[in-house]
This record gives sequence, C-alpha cells and structure tokens, in this order.
Amino acid sequence: MLGLTLVATAACGGGGNAASDKDTDVTINVALAADPPPKAALESFTKETGIKVNWVNIDWDSLQTKISAAATAKTYFADATDVDWSRVGELGKLGWFYPIDDYIKTDPLKADVPQLASFTYQDHVVGIPYDASFMVTTVNTDLFKKAGADPAPKTMDEYTAALQKVKSSGTTKYPLNIPFAAAEGLSTYWYEATNAFGGTILDGKGKPQFTDPSSPGYKAAKWMVDALKNGLVPPGNINVSDSQGEQTLMARGTVASTFSDYSGLVGTLYNVPDSSSVVNKVQYIATPGATAPAANLSNPDGVGIMKTAKYPKAAAKFIEWFTDADRQAEFAGLNGPDKAWASYALPSHLSAVEKLASGGKLIGGDTLAALLKTSKPVFPEGAPAWYSKFSNAVYTHLHAAAAGSETVEQAIKAMSDTANDLSNGQ
Amino acid sequence: MTNSLSAPPETAKAASGGGDPAPKKKSRFDFLPYLLVTPVTVFIIALALVPAAFTIIQAFYRVDALDPPTRFDGFGNFTRMFKNDAVVSSIGNTGLYVVIGVVLSTVLGIAMAVLLQRPFRGRSVVIAVLILPWALPGVVEGILWTNIFDPNAGLIASVMHTFGADEGAVLLGHNRLLTILLIELVQVWQITPLSALLILASLQLIPDELYEAAVIDGASPWRSFWHLTLPMARPGIAVSMVQGVIATLNVFDQPFVLNGAATTGASVTMQTYYISFQNLDFGQGYALSLLITITTLVISLGVVRTVYRRVEL
Repeated sequence: MLGLTLVATAACGGGGNAASDKDTDVTINVALAADPPPKAALESFTKETGIKVNWVNIDWDSLQTKISAAATAKTYFADATDVDWSRVGELGKLGWFYPIDDYIKTDPLKADVPQLASFTYQDHVVGIPYDASFMVTTVNTDLFKKAGADPAPKTMDEYTAALQKVKSSGTTKYPLNIPFAAAEGLSTYWYEATNAFGGTILDGKGKPQFTDPSSPGYKAAKWMVDALKNGLVPPGNINVSDSQGEQTLMARGTVASTFSDYSGLVGTLYNVPDSSSVVNKVQYIATPGATAPAANLSNPDGVGIMKTAKYPKAAAKFIEWFTDADRQAEFAGLNGPDKAWASYALPSHLSAVEKLASGGKLIGGDTLAALLKTSKPVFPEGAPAWYSKFSNAVYTHLHAAAAGSETVEQAIKAMSDTANDLSNGQ
Repeated sequence: MTNSLSAPPETAKAASGGGDPAPKKKSRFDFLPYLLVTPVTVFIIALALVPAAFTIIQAFYRVDALDPPTRFDGFGNFTRMFKNDAVVSSIGNTGLYVVIGVVLSTVLGIAMAVLLQRPFRGRSVVIAVLILPWALPGVVEGILWTNIFDPNAGLIASVMHTFGADEGAVLLGHNRLLTILLIELVQVWQITPLSALLILASLQLIPDELYEAAVIDGASPWRSFWHLTLPMARPGIAVSMVQGVIATLNVFDQPFVLNGAATTGASVTMQTYYISFQNLDFGQGYALSLLITITTLVISLGVVRTVYRRVEL
C-alpha cells in the first residue's frame, strides 16, 4: 500500500514537477485550513496580477500529512500552503519549502510582525505568518455572572474555583471545554496550561521539563484530566476536537469557558448569530496563571511556497498580497463586513491590529492587542525538527490518560521518554 | 482364374510414395494473444509488482526523512515496530475489527442474500438501494456517523437523553471494546452489501429443482437452508469472507474520522499512515505495510482453504 502510494504518485507526478518562473496568466493552488477570502478580494488580486487563485480548504491535521506526502513523493500539491509554527523546524530541516526571503524582503517585516521569528530556520524564513493566532482564555461572562462567579479570575486556583461554582450553581452541568480528542488541539491545550502553571515544555536541548510531579507540565496534565474526572468537562469530550468544542459547546452555551481557545474566535464565531447562541456573551480574559495572569503562547499560522510548486514566483506574489498589513486589516473588518474575511481571526501585523482596535473594529481588540504584544512562542528556541513525533505522543497519551487507559504518571513518562529519545537522535 | 487383392496401378504408385510430396506449410507464430494480454501485464507489473518489490526491499532499510541517509537496517524496522506501543495496540484493535467485521458481514450478507434469492416485485430496486452504502466513500460514511455518534449533539445521544440517559453518555473513546464495535458497525454497514451480492450470485446458481425435491422429501425451510443452501453457497461465502478480511484488515477511513488518532481504536493502516507521513519514518512504514500484506494473504488463504468448496451442479 505505502510503496504503491509513493511509487504511483511519483510516477504520475514525475513529469509535471518542473517549476515555472511565470508570474502572470497562471493559476495557482492555495491550500489552507480555512474558507477562502472574499471572492471580490481574490478577483481584485487576479485583475491586478493576472494570477488566478484556486483555493483549497483542508482541515489542519489532514493538510499536514498531505504536505508530507506530496513533498516526499515530489509531486505537486499546492503552490502556497500552510506553514504552521510547530513544523518550522521540521520543514526547514527537510527543505520542503522555498526560503521566502528568496522572493520577498522579510527584514522590513520584523518590527511589525513579532511572530516572524517563529518561522525562521537557520536565518531563513520558511513561511510568513498570516494569522497571529495565540492561545487565549474565553469566558461566557453571562453564565459566570449568573452563577455568582468571578468572570475574570487571575490565577488557576481562582479559575478552577469559579468553574466549580458555575457547576454547583446548576447554571450549566459541565462548565469547562477541554477537547480530549487525540489531535493537535489537545497538545496545544496542554502547552498553554503548562505555561499558565509557570513552566515550559522542553529546554533548549529538547529535554522534557514536565517529568517531576511538582513541575508545571505535570500539574497541567493532572489539572486537565482531573477536570474531566471531576465533572467539570463534558464526558463526551473524550472524542471532541478543538473546533468541535468551539462550535458545538462554547458557541451554544453548553460550556462556560475554554481555557485554551484561539484568539479572534469571539469575532469570527461566538458573536456570529448564524452559528452562535451566545452572541455578546463571550469575552477574552487574561489567561490565569500560577500566581498572576500569564503570558499567552502564540499559535500562528503561516503560508509558504512548496518546493514542488508549479509557479513559485506567482505564489510569492500572492503571499505578499495576502499578508500585507492593510489587507489583513481589511480582512479583519476594518472597511466593513462586506470586505471582511469571515474565517480570519487576527492580523499578524501589529499595526493592523492597532488600527482595528483604535477604530473599534476588532471585537475584544484592546485585550487582544495587549495580549499579542506579550505573547511568546511555545518553544523559545524554535520547534524541534521532531516536533510532529513529540506532539503525537503528547496527544495520544493525554487522551489515554483522560480515557482512563493510562494514569497521568504513565502518560507523562511516555511523553518524556519520547522527548528524550528524540532529542538524543533516536 | 485367380483373384488378386492388389491396388490399381495409380493407387499403388501413390501408396509407394513415388508421387510428388505435399508442399510443407511454414508455421507462423500467433502474436495476437500476447498482444492483447500485454497491457494488463504491464499494468500489473507497474502498479502491483514494482511497488510490492519496492516495499519489500525498503522494509529492510532505515528510511527516515529526518535522519538521512537511507541505509540497510536488517530487521531493525520490525524490531522497533513491535516495541512501539501504538503499533502493538493497533494490531490488537485490527484483530477485533477483522473478527467482528467478517462475522457480522458474512452472517448479514447470507441473510440478505437468502431474502433476495426469490424474485419479488421491486427486487431490483431493493438491490440498487442495498448497494448505496458500498458505493459511499468510507470517509463520507465516517462523517455521517460522526454526527450520529456525537456525544453532545448526535442522534443517538438525543435519543438516549429522551429516555433519561445521561446527556453526556459517551459512545466513542472511553471503552475500547465499545469504541471498536461501534466503528466496525459503520464498516459492516458499508461492506455487507457486497457480501450479500457475492453470496446471492452463488445462490442464483442453485437449481430450483433441488429445493422442490427437498420439499417433496419433507425438508423444512430451515433444513433446506442448512443442508442445501449453505453448502451450495460456500464458494460465494468464501469470496465474500475474503473481501471482508481484506476490507477490515485494512480499515482506515472509519476509525480515522470517527476516533481520530486515539489508540483505543487506531488500526494498523492508520499507524502506517502516522509513522510514514507524520513521523516520516518510511522504513518502519514499509515494514508495517509488508506485515499487513503478508497477514492479509495468510488469512485470506486460510479462509479459502477452510470455507471454499467446489460445487458441481
């Protein structure tokens, strides 16, 4: 099966992989885990450049493996596609993407795009962040207030106590959303919780920092699993992903808070009447920390040019257009809803965020702008090349701990063993 | 007068071999059969044998995109594979998928085939509708059943809530056996129509006279089924069981969509996918693929030898 996949795709695609320098009168494929921008905007780009955009929306997890499969088989998949923060180390080492700085001047972006550093591998930019997503706590303030709970707790203890109060008051049976499905969203949730408890996941050499029961990472894992066991999290969440939790729980008022949600969701989901029953009830709060509010971990999405692209120069033009500060502001709603991109959460340019916030066009803008300035990467030294393997271990074992097939201790050991093996080159 | 039994002179001359010899025809090689079979041969070689050979060879090499270069590794991939808890767990899961899937699809397939054996008004429509689940891609079926199984807003959860069950009752994810059973039911729903058709094809070949004779001899419908229908349908049953083995042993879409990467329901083909395209350890991926192929062949051969019987009508 695997051999057939690789041999067949290589044979079928072998004759069509030659990159063209054409940057006009071509059609490029753009594959991202999002609905397309407004049709008028894409048409405007086509009219301006002569480049037609064929947009492909693929869910995040599947998109990553499609990129891997295409790059490995050296077959065409897309001209521009996702470069997630977590894969920069891997993609950089593998050389599956063109260095963006070969096509676009990235130095001028550094001051205005603080997350650009997370997309740099050995002094080359692998992708340009287009969405400055970061993990942020969201609270249904209406439910919290009805329960008499503090809607803006500052510490983890206060937060947990508030959730328990919401539950005991009968306002909602399961107040907390934690997506325990074995997928990437579970890993990032744990990273954010670890950060809140005051710790980091790995040190500069890739060694685990969560093995000791007194470590923040261990506490975070235990807090998450205990929340499920203690009835704060819906039992069904054992098989609910982050996006499912957002759409079917948080947006429906079934739960009262998501500790590690994604920035921008209030505007793109929770305040959208067609898809939410909690309009104007959900707010961002500063993420509770061990003793005081904690900085938020960034979770940005970038866009880059695959080495198997047919039209890399045309893709570069698209990326430059797509990530422009003014365009980002427009996509985020600066010039009205008819020009806004419904799937777009938060600009990666600080100037765009500030423009939106000052104009009152970004829901929760002041809070988001402040949090964005202090956001930090999950791995200060950059995500390791073996991140995918590590993350797989994280979400499968945390899921198992939640399901009861492993203890938290066993899960932590399995995760740390994986980190140790990988950092030792095994 | 003497009567001599001798050939006429002309005949005698010919018999003596003295005449002109018949011209020898030069034989001509017939290329047509080989010409006609060449395309499919090339197809099989290119898309079956070459990848198979590639997989077999690479299974003994360390092929890791993050740890170049590719190098001979003997049985290293297999050793590491069996030390991988996720792989070991997936082998157990897949065993359950095979047992549950083959048994259910065969039993249900036989039942459906027997019901469709006799002509009735609208039978063709029923068969057409019956085929639909088989025609749907596994991913689509997974998505469809995801909504049904959704613990918060799914159909089953809603019904359970109506009858007073906990609104958070969990169907998938907590209990391994229940998770695997539910996932496999989705696949059984997909593959049973094919089983039914394969078995029905065998049933259609059974002469009506045999059933008439059985009735005359006093056989009940059940005895006719047990002693006549089943034995005569063994070829079709064997084929349907083999396709069931192949489908269930290679199950991917349903557990992937319904249960994500959770080890409680992950199959070996899912592990092949993760190992290869997430971990980029293609050597181990090849090794696992090879293991799956060999296992499929062995089990299929076992089924054929056990179930298949030649039926002469």
